[in-house]
Amino acid sequence: AAPAGPLLCGPGLRRSEAGLLVTKCGLLRHRPGGGGAFWVDSQQKRYVPAKGDHVIGIVTAKAGDVFKLDVGGSDAASLSYLAFEGATKRNRPNVQVGDLIYGQLLVANKDMEPEMVCIDSSGKSSGMGIIGPDGFLFKVSLGLIRKLLAPKCEIIQELSQLYPFELVLGMNGRIWVKAKTVQQTLIIVNILEASEYMTAEQRKQAFAKVSG
Amino acid sequence: QPLSPGLAGERLCSTEEATSGSGTYTRHGFIYSSLAGCLERRSEDSGLPVVSVVRDSESQLLPNVGAVVTCKVCSINSRFAKVHILYVGSTPLKSTFRGTIRREDIRATEKDKVEVYKSFRPSDIVLAKVISLGDAQSNYLLSTAENELGVVVARSEAGVQMVPISWCEMQCPRTHTKEFRKVARVQPQFLQT
Repeated sequence: AAPAGPLLCGPGLRRSEAGLLVTKCGLLRHRPGGGGAFWVDSQQKRYVPAKGDHVIGIVTAKAGDVFKLDVGGSDAASLSYLAFEGATKRNRPNVQVGDLIYGQLLVANKDMEPEMVCIDSSGKSSGMGIIGPDGFLFKVSLGLIRKLLAPKCEIIQELSQLYPFELVLGMNGRIWVKAKTVQQTLIIVNILEASEYMTAEQRKQAFAKVSG
Repeated sequence: QPLSPGLAGERLCSTEEATSGSGTYTRHGFIYSSLAGCLERRSEDSGLPVVSVVRDSESQLLPNVGAVVTCKVCSINSRFAKVHILYVGSTPLKSTFRGTIRREDIRATEKDKVEVYKSFRPSDIVLAKVISLGDAQSNYLLSTAENELGVVVARSEAGVQMVPISWCEMQCPRTHTKEFRKVARVQPQFLQT
């Protein structure tokens, strides 16, 4: 049956007069729903800021009304101190250099420096803001983040059977974990880092070894 | 007219003997030169001769307030766009000047809804009007708040020169993607086919 609707050309593909050109190496995927969509699944560790992404940034400087954050891109992102829930000119958020902030990229393109906010369009924080003290921040590839963010991810479900922990996933490849003790935190970190290359059986063996 | 070399700041003569021309200024009843160049004395039919100092054979054309200049966008920001001024009117400049187009000077209407990213991109060629010469440190302040001012030449993300389709959109002829720009409505007599 002929697809109904326009064909979607996803990441890794570019349209030219000769047809579709592939711009990244990886696996070509196809989704038949709607008009159909093609995209390339590629491994990438370097993050390119894109509008609407939720990312974890590290505060590097305070310049007047604006914080400068490192989000892993080529430019530092800027975050206004008024872009927090309940922040006014008198009531400034308590942000120091070196803090971790989970926010959304409002403006991100190749010509300007990215801008981040910690409130959504209605003014609520909805989970964004300063990430609390302690915990462990580490970097993984972008593909693993997308896998972990998929609904009903098995890795997260199996991990939550082990111990209770807090987890923040940033689309820029950064993960923050905090569990009750340092040893539990490090076990979770090692499992998450290794789960990129483990199959499901190897993962179950690793869980059995840790919890047993 | 005889030309003799002179220094900047040199006192040339008193204001009773001549009137000051370009490259000179009057202070306390005397005419001083403000440039290092060749002294030129021109006799006028009515009144005193005009004394001026000329640096090169052709003088550098400086943009005045209200002049239409052609410039190239070099960087953009959420508050303004920085440009290099290439032409003043139709004469090219030997060295480029730097200009700034503030966000509120891009359009005449709906100034607070303007997004610089949807009006200009780096390496666009823009027609703008000078609204202020600026201070010693700051650049020329330019404005595109008219129908005839704005982007004239722009390249798409694919690298092809785009075709304007409305006052706020341009289309790439190869990939057919539309991009937002503040497009200038160029007068027909300036278009070359």
